[in-house]
Amino acid sequence: MERFFQYIFDGLSFGAIYALLALGLVVVFRGTGHLNFAQGEMAMFCTFLVWQYDAWGVPLILAVVLGTVTGFLFGAGVEVSLIRGVAKKSEAGVFVVSIALFLGLNSLAAMIWGNLPPEQMPSLFPDEPNDFVRIFGAVWRYEYIGVLVVALVLMGLLFLLFAKTKFGLAMRSVASNPESARLVGIPTGLVLASSWGIAAAMGALSGTLWGGIVGELTAGLMFTVFIYAAASATLGGFDSPGGAVVAGLSIGVGEQLAAGYFPGWIGQELKLAVALLTIFVVLLFKPAGLFGTSKVERV
Amino acid sequence: MLKIKEASAQHWALRLVGVGVIAFLVLWIPTQMATSRIGQVSDAFVLIIAAMSLNLVLGFTGQISIGHSAFFGIGGYTAAILVKDYGWSPGYTFYVAPVIAFVVGCLIALPALRIKGVYLALVTLAVAVLFPTLVKWKKLAWLTGGAKGIDSARYDELPVWPILGELKGRDGRAVFAYWLAFIVLVITYLVCRGIVKSRFGRSLVAIRDNETAAAVMGVNLTTTKVLVFGISAALCSLAGVLSTLRTGVVTPEGQYVTLLGSIVFLLIMIVGGAGTLWGPIVGGLIYVWLDSATRGFGTNSDGIIGFLFGWADQSPATLILGVGLVIIMFAAPYGLVGLIKRLVAKVLVIVPKPLGDSHLAIGNTVPDTDSRV
Amino acid sequence: MKRKTYRAIALAVVGSLAIAACGGDDGESSSDTSSEATNAPGDTSAPDDTDAADGEAWAVNTDDCVDPAAANAPIEGTIKIGSAMPLSGGVAAAAFAPVKGGFEAYVKYANEKKLLGDITIEVAIEDDQYNKDLTPAAVDKLLDAGTHVFSGIIGTPNNLAVRDLLNEECYPQLLALTGSIGWGDAENYPWTTGVLIPYDVEVKAYATAIQRDFPEGVDVGVFVVNSEFGQEYLTTIESIAADYGLNIVDEQTIEATDSAPPTAQVNSIAAKQPPVILAVPLGAGCATFLAEVANAKAANPGWEPRVYITATCASSLILGLAGDAANGLYTSNNLVDVLDPEIAALPAVAEYLAFMEGQGLTDIITTGGAGWHTAEMTVAILVKALESGELTRASIMNAARSFEAVGMLTRPGVTMKMSGLSDQYIAQSLQIVQYDATTKLFTDIGDLITDYES
Repeated sequence: MERFFQYIFDGLSFGAIYALLALGLVVVFRGTGHLNFAQGEMAMFCTFLVWQYDAWGVPLILAVVLGTVTGFLFGAGVEVSLIRGVAKKSEAGVFVVSIALFLGLNSLAAMIWGNLPPEQMPSLFPDEPNDFVRIFGAVWRYEYIGVLVVALVLMGLLFLLFAKTKFGLAMRSVASNPESARLVGIPTGLVLASSWGIAAAMGALSGTLWGGIVGELTAGLMFTVFIYAAASATLGGFDSPGGAVVAGLSIGVGEQLAAGYFPGWIGQELKLAVALLTIFVVLLFKPAGLFGTSKVERV
Repeated sequence: MLKIKEASAQHWALRLVGVGVIAFLVLWIPTQMATSRIGQVSDAFVLIIAAMSLNLVLGFTGQISIGHSAFFGIGGYTAAILVKDYGWSPGYTFYVAPVIAFVVGCLIALPALRIKGVYLALVTLAVAVLFPTLVKWKKLAWLTGGAKGIDSARYDELPVWPILGELKGRDGRAVFAYWLAFIVLVITYLVCRGIVKSRFGRSLVAIRDNETAAAVMGVNLTTTKVLVFGISAALCSLAGVLSTLRTGVVTPEGQYVTLLGSIVFLLIMIVGGAGTLWGPIVGGLIYVWLDSATRGFGTNSDGIIGFLFGWADQSPATLILGVGLVIIMFAAPYGLVGLIKRLVAKVLVIVPKPLGDSHLAIGNTVPDTDSRV
Repeated sequence: MKRKTYRAIALAVVGSLAIAACGGDDGESSSDTSSEATNAPGDTSAPDDTDAADGEAWAVNTDDCVDPAAANAPIEGTIKIGSAMPLSGGVAAAAFAPVKGGFEAYVKYANEKKLLGDITIEVAIEDDQYNKDLTPAAVDKLLDAGTHVFSGIIGTPNNLAVRDLLNEECYPQLLALTGSIGWGDAENYPWTTGVLIPYDVEVKAYATAIQRDFPEGVDVGVFVVNSEFGQEYLTTIESIAADYGLNIVDEQTIEATDSAPPTAQVNSIAAKQPPVILAVPLGAGCATFLAEVANAKAANPGWEPRVYITATCASSLILGLAGDAANGLYTSNNLVDVLDPEIAALPAVAEYLAFMEGQGLTDIITTGGAGWHTAEMTVAILVKALESGELTRASIMNAARSFEAVGMLTRPGVTMKMSGLSDQYIAQSLQIVQYDATTKLFTDIGDLITDYES
């Protein structure tokens, strides 16, 4: 039983990170209909920025805020300067640009911070070996609890933004019909840029939390996390923020349980494989994810 | 501006010149260029074949696949296993790999039928992630060599092709690899062209443009989609076989059998021009050139590049590649072939024969590049 | 700037740094018990019965070369050394890019000292991005440019991808920068040799040390990165465990691309409470792993495992990150730690440090050391070939396989040597060391291990 709770705790904390990054994907998809392959790398780059601000002497909390703001501006800037022009002409072009961003940011981070040793990310929470609490015999580290709490709070704020603010309303209307949104006077351009900005800011925060857990920053920081996040967004439904959160947490917990209870057959080697196969099976029955809405097509 | 009637004498002359130029280049490369250049062109051929196979699925049918690296890997591993463990002559693996890949491709396509758009992108991405994980799996190591892969699976002795004369050593191997890749490339091109220009090909385009409408018009969605995915997988596996025979090594971490491979194939196809027969060819050559030209950048810090990038901890090669891709996409959102066609159209117009002739040039119109990523 | 802080604390030149991370090959472990006929008869296995033990007797056969005349043609004026290393494109480049700087620095040094007399050494290093599909193209390019000798190609698959080619063409493929056991196969691949301590030697050294402390046998938890590198260690560990009384109670892996901390893995090991952990993490993963072990220790009072960690992690650049978590771990090396003030005062090391400083390469004195050492051994081989008469590709290979030298950065007492078929691995002596997190220095444990030399 103690083992069971251990897997649940670890899984929830890891899953919260997946969900946070997945939310970024969902925000961009809802706003613009694109899958942003550079979401993970943007998060990684912003995490390095947070580290850099901190290394320059900015207090950590402030560095995180600064990094998030930079992330927002960067994301919005990318939408305005790179994505918008191409998107008008070719959907495939957006894919290429997002891959180019992926490659470029990865390379740029390696150019700036690439030499050994890896930069060491300070944690927002106490992370000494003794900083943990036992619940039902299982160890829950303060850092993991902190990550889970912060992630959940952020998700809550995002829901408020979507559901309760004018901006959220504007976002939803742009997502559902950009033409009529523009006609009723919604600044669609601003809304689209903001959705990329919010996604990048979410990325910066998820990267920072993840970097704190990992400890060492490398250009590969978010690569696997991105795959998990993409899987979460898919499982939950690409246009459903709530779905992404539920899916992210379940994938986090599920992989821990699968790897832990079937060490011979699944183990650490195949846990990602099992997660992806499960999603595949779910999609067979729910082609738009668990909570997504299928589009009605006009002939 | 010059106007030429389709199928007129001038048009045929123009085509003849085109064929002549290509034939000249194809012969000139292996006979006149340095061995390393020949090798580079062969490497480009391999990527072009993979991109062409992907083009069938994405460019013409509109079904995204980020999983083609798995089919590349199936080809590579089939070749390596047959050559190394079963002592086959490498040439025969070209017949087996596509069969296996076809079956696997159809099996993956069947359940994927219901899934569309981003969801399909993610499902195929999962295939790309699963493949290296599975071949690395301990329980399959007896077959795949596990994490260390398989090595020395190549031609011990080059087969003798009278037309090429005696091939010796490194230069001989390079020339042989070139022609082998060229033959596979031509076959792949012909298969794609045959499909695209056929009734089957028109049903693919119909699916791409509007699935529901296609179904209403009598296209059997299931058979068509599954079949084209299978064929595409089979063609892609040929590229994998070529790649293995070139180095003799396959590993689960080899770049083209991982997710990165799928991305490279997609880039090549889109940059060249999705939904055009020549797109992957142009894209592949440009990609390999761009990649190899930028690779040494900044590592030998002199001149302007040294000044610009001397501070960097690592070579800026990939960054420059990324910037290059963005520039290409801004200049040619429909791919380079589309750009070339528009430029040529300013100088030269081929006036088509009146309609009614069954010759519908689907692959040659300015592409309607819609691939719903 | 950020790196300066670390420069100050950085310590080890560990020849292997992350380079050893390139392992993996056919070659079952060439342990004393197994020796397949086709596989590398590593010199740790029973030596051949023939009298090939006499290194002088071994000479490379150029009859089967594509161009035997070229392989025996004297090299005059300039000798071109070529290599392929990851200089861009991902995590590998981060670890290996400094190797190039160290390699080139030594070649410059050798030219200044005129070690080859009138012959100038040129070096060209191509970027293969650690992608074995790009290595043949890189080598082709170098061959077209007239390269005579290859040395220090990084990565097991990368070396394998050009091994057949270079052997067929009879170009020396010296000192492959990987510790795979497959590089000692002079019968099938006379033109290929490695430079790092073979992984099986390293594992056996740890096993011996563990057996000394636990003569009654002991439970061991194993943690490896799930790549060719980690798997080769794992295979060796599994095959020799019984001989040394090691009872493997848990085997855990982590994907090389996965940045996640190995929480579940270490918890799983901790649940079995083994007194010893053998670990083969990679790069930044070394520090993450050690931090998790520290966490697990805190959660399991009374559990104080001895951690033996691959020499790949044994750089204070990496271990410094883990802080106290790295304290007391055991690892091994065969090169000196240039940041140890006592070592830095040794004349040869001081000369190295001064030269690197003169080149403006102070920031890579630790990580570049492997490159320097490899280049130094390469040039030493060339010098020996020149002494034997003419400098030809064949004479270089003969010199390499009948060679003995001490490098500027090798540990006192360690000799780099190869001898015909009887000794095909240049580095087989090593020292078990223990890391002290407060001083950030390594302490020798026991004597230098030379048992694996033949």
